[in-house]
Amino acid sequence: MELFRSVDGRLPVVLELLRSPWIVRASDIARPEDAGAGKRIDEIIAIAWDSRRCCPSAFEWRSRTYRIDAIVQTWAVERRWWEPGRRVSRRCWRVLARGGTYDIAFDRLEGTWALLGVLD
Amino acid sequence: MSDGFVHLHVHSHFSFMDGASSLDALVARAVEFGMPALALTDHQGLYGALRFYRLAQDAGLRPILGAEVTVEAVGHRGVESDLPPAQRLESSPGVGFGRAAGRGFHLTLLVKNRLGYQNLCQLLSSTHVRSAHEPSTVTYEDLARLSEGLIGLSGCSAGEVGASVLARQPARARTAASRLAQCFAHGDFYIELMHLLTPGSPRYISSLVALADDLDLPVVATNDVHYVERDGFRVHDVLASAGAKMHLPGPYDRENGELWLKTATEMRTLFAGLERACDATLEIAERCELDLGLGEFHFPSADIPRGETSYSVLSKLAWRGVEERYRPMTPEAVGRLQHELAVIQDLGFPEYFLVVREIVEFAKSQGIRCSGRGSAGDSIVTYALGITDADPIRHDLLFERFLNPARRQMPDIDVDFDSRRRDEVIDFIYKRFGSEHVAMVATVNTMTARSAVRTVARAFGYPISEVNAFSRHLPWVGARKLPEVLESYPECRSHPLRDPEHALVVELAQELDSCPMHLGTHLGGFIITREAIDTWMPLQWAAKGVVVSQYDKDDVEALGLVKMDILGLRTHSAISDAIEIARDRVGAENVPEPFDLEPDDPAVYDLLSRADTVGMFQLESSGQRNLSQRLKASEFEDIIAQISLFRPGPLEAEMITPFIRRRHGVESVSVPHPGMVRPLRDTYGIIVYQEQVLLVAKAVAGFDLAEADSLRRAMTKGRSRQEMQNIREHFLDRAVERGVELGVAQEVFRQLEGFAAYGFNKAHAACFAVVSYATAWLKTYYPAELAASIMNNEPMGFYSPRHILNDARAHDIEIRAPHVNESRARYTVTSDGSGIRVGLKDAHEMTARLLETIPREREIREFKDLADFLRRTQASAPATQSLIRIGALDGLGVTDMGRPPTRDEMLVLLPELKSVLSREGIAGDDVLVLAPGPVREPEDPGHVSGWSTARRLSAELEYLGLTLTCHPLALAEQDLQARGVISARELSGMRDGSRVTVCGVRERAQTPRTRSGKRTCFLTLEDSTGLLDVVVFEDALKRYGDVIVKHRSYLIKGKLQNNTERGLAIVADTIEPYIIRAKGGDPVRLRRGVASGPMGPSLGGAGAPEEESWVAAEK
Repeated sequence: MELFRSVDGRLPVVLELLRSPWIVRASDIARPEDAGAGKRIDEIIAIAWDSRRCCPSAFEWRSRTYRIDAIVQTWAVERRWWEPGRRVSRRCWRVLARGGTYDIAFDRLEGTWALLGVLD
Repeated sequence: MSDGFVHLHVHSHFSFMDGASSLDALVARAVEFGMPALALTDHQGLYGALRFYRLAQDAGLRPILGAEVTVEAVGHRGVESDLPPAQRLESSPGVGFGRAAGRGFHLTLLVKNRLGYQNLCQLLSSTHVRSAHEPSTVTYEDLARLSEGLIGLSGCSAGEVGASVLARQPARARTAASRLAQCFAHGDFYIELMHLLTPGSPRYISSLVALADDLDLPVVATNDVHYVERDGFRVHDVLASAGAKMHLPGPYDRENGELWLKTATEMRTLFAGLERACDATLEIAERCELDLGLGEFHFPSADIPRGETSYSVLSKLAWRGVEERYRPMTPEAVGRLQHELAVIQDLGFPEYFLVVREIVEFAKSQGIRCSGRGSAGDSIVTYALGITDADPIRHDLLFERFLNPARRQMPDIDVDFDSRRRDEVIDFIYKRFGSEHVAMVATVNTMTARSAVRTVARAFGYPISEVNAFSRHLPWVGARKLPEVLESYPECRSHPLRDPEHALVVELAQELDSCPMHLGTHLGGFIITREAIDTWMPLQWAAKGVVVSQYDKDDVEALGLVKMDILGLRTHSAISDAIEIARDRVGAENVPEPFDLEPDDPAVYDLLSRADTVGMFQLESSGQRNLSQRLKASEFEDIIAQISLFRPGPLEAEMITPFIRRRHGVESVSVPHPGMVRPLRDTYGIIVYQEQVLLVAKAVAGFDLAEADSLRRAMTKGRSRQEMQNIREHFLDRAVERGVELGVAQEVFRQLEGFAAYGFNKAHAACFAVVSYATAWLKTYYPAELAASIMNNEPMGFYSPRHILNDARAHDIEIRAPHVNESRARYTVTSDGSGIRVGLKDAHEMTARLLETIPREREIREFKDLADFLRRTQASAPATQSLIRIGALDGLGVTDMGRPPTRDEMLVLLPELKSVLSREGIAGDDVLVLAPGPVREPEDPGHVSGWSTARRLSAELEYLGLTLTCHPLALAEQDLQARGVISARELSGMRDGSRVTVCGVRERAQTPRTRSGKRTCFLTLEDSTGLLDVVVFEDALKRYGDVIVKHRSYLIKGKLQNNTERGLAIVADTIEPYIIRAKGGDPVRLRRGVASGPMGPSLGGAGAPEEESWVAAEK
């Protein structure tokens, strides 16, 4: 289902999402009880890559394919690189898919994709 | 819409500890990405700007100069802490180097044109120089006053606008943006947008865009580039942490590492929907068209009387000088002076010569010893003006080597001044030219393996003991070579960095290779300008309290400004002191000025040929002593050759051996072309000097001297095979045209090619030789005076003060121990010249006040005992302890046993005496009733100190750094005899090739460059009879390198080399540590008196200028 027909149509929704104080990043949620409306997942997923736009176009989680309708935001994480066991090196995308908001990330160290969390 | 992009906010290594990319890498990457321009905006200065400007221009990239400065708050007037806590903006970490470090909000400034460059220099200078102690923060007033020609960008999130947005204070962001915009011309202030891929980035950008739209300000995209490569964040984090003296993650604790030099596509993708922000980068780049006018010269103003020109004044002075120097005047001198003056006039340099002369003239008028050095010695004008002292005609010195009329290049006249009085010359320069026209030249200190390892280890949070363990025993090499060094250098065999656990430290340290670490102050370089100097370059306070330029000597030269090296030479101080002591002793009329002597005294050459050269300027190092034995100098030309031959170039080209063989007739002298006979007659057909290259090219191919010098330069500089081929063909064509056979011309060219890169500047050597001869003459006739003067001017020269005194003792000069009733602060010579009294200045813990008090009190009356000494001098306990331990209070007072107290007794009594004195203010003799506490029995009741010889010697080494009682090895004589050890004195009488065992205390260990690339250590040791030179070739070094580094005295077995060709040395087979023990088994502690540590590079030599000295290298 095409949620947005054009970029212009998508932008107000995205901006609204960004402004919404109830949105937290699932990847920031440390304890399940703090999750509120969000849920931390952290499971390996497979993705389809849109090389033209340089971003994921769909991901497969628990045998179900989620076509990405819009990229809400992207960010990168690089922490504690000097401690091999604790290093985090990720490129993250917050995406809209199947009516939900998902945080997916590429782990640069492992070379794998993961679903970090779901925001309802 | 264009698809290009220009990075306008870029930090390099010159952001000192906050930039992880070299200028070369930045420029290369921008070129690779096809970017039309690149900016450099280092923190608080233009440190790398000139290098960047030239590099970028050479690469076809438009350079945009700028800086990221810290400015005071403008969105809120007053002190930030006056605001309620919720409204305060978070302060960012301090940025910038040393006393130019600033705290405040960041602002990016870009230079549009020459006026903008001048304004930025003035803005930075006024900010940095305003106060030496407060953070350097640009004021709003200065910014408004000096913003013409500059473009302002609102800065990163540490800028006031960005920080207000992040703190959700839109009103303050608005005020700050509009006030900053008011400082700049319309259209010259931009709101800077950075998309650093953090979760907050979209909100940050959208808020800034809204603000810009609201204020009708343009926006521009940047990436706050701090490194070139994607993974450069690691080195950047390390640098920032070490710079802020913090552990990782350091002061910024960034969420990611996205500050690399991204492609235009990457930047435009990040700013999709905001194309105008990317387009603005191109527009700004178009508007920045700075032309620094490099290639022009700008001289300070010389003192020219009305009605005269600089040329007329120079000409008159030069003619007058030549008349004084050449009596009778010769046609050659006349012709040469005419030629040189004409060239100097053509090149527009008369004022420069006059300025240098004025400074030298001032020094001479004040009795400050000075001498010119370098290629300036090639000129008869500098000789006539009294700047240099070697006769250019007599020594075949060529003007074209100094000033090549074909290449208009800034002349460089370096002058050495008496080190102790150099400040008087500097004062004169500031007064004469005005402090707003003078500044010191900066030096950029870069990281070596040691400093790189320390930087990384500190950032990683290792304790200091571990940091020290990591850097200890690392040789002086670039950090890039660390893995190789750790793997193959014997001294690193058990180095902790070999542990795989520390692999990341090594890896990151490697990446810091040659990274600028901090800005230093050139030891003697001054810039003198006609216009205000802060319109040429930014200035700042240096740590040593002088105003220093942010540019180094190459930058200054590139700008076409005059840089003068006012170098301090301690040898000059020592010579002046020696003459003064000698004149006091034997009368001024009996001691001539050594610089004025005809250098032909056979007694002086006898000393030289015996290699008795310790203390002689440029001739004393172990290599030079070896060369002295082989060369056997008999005239002044030999001294020039000797100085020239023992240089990295000639050493690498292995010129010495053929030179010696030919000199002693072992090998015949032959040259391929008869025209080479005269130019090479003094060097037996071998090209040793650069000047000879010119003469040979002239003689064989008919080049004029200017053309020949261009040929020499072309051959010397790194050139491609094709370039070399072109040079060769040109030379051969010209030679063949003159009727030279092709084969002969080819052979001549082969020799020129082989030696041009290695030849030494003869003028430089000749200028030094004048000073060398003066020291040699003093050593011949006033050895005690020279040794005492060297001791008074330490650190200087190749040897430790310990050896200088031991050498004096070997010349039958009595060394008298320091004593509070005899010694002055400085070393003195006895009235008959047969002895030296050790000065008190070298004793540990001595203060200037105490050094002044002791002789003053003694003049009233001698000190009678320890209490009397303490009462009258108020000496501290540590200083008194030190004096007791070195025997400076021996023999004072009487105990109830009817003898003077031993050192142990005085040491026990000292705290009680100090306590009584402090309680009672000034105590009387009553304190003598104090009985010393129990002390151990005197080890040597026969000696007034009560101490054994070994203990006295250990104390001398530890508290004075000298060996006065005897040489440490003299105590182990019996043991050494039993081991069949040969003394240094005996070696010269032994057969070449003999197997020998020697023992010595380490004086120096060097591993100079060799042509083969193999590592050889030259070990200079000292035994009780003199110096031993030991060569440790690579195979032995591999086995015993760790012994050399970790110990201070060695027992060495090896083969003696004792012949005319190679001189006297021992080639080591085995090296063992040797613990020196006296008869009773007491060990002698060498720890503080004898340096140990890594094998250093080949640097320095007696009287080498300070910046080349060993001490400087160690720093």
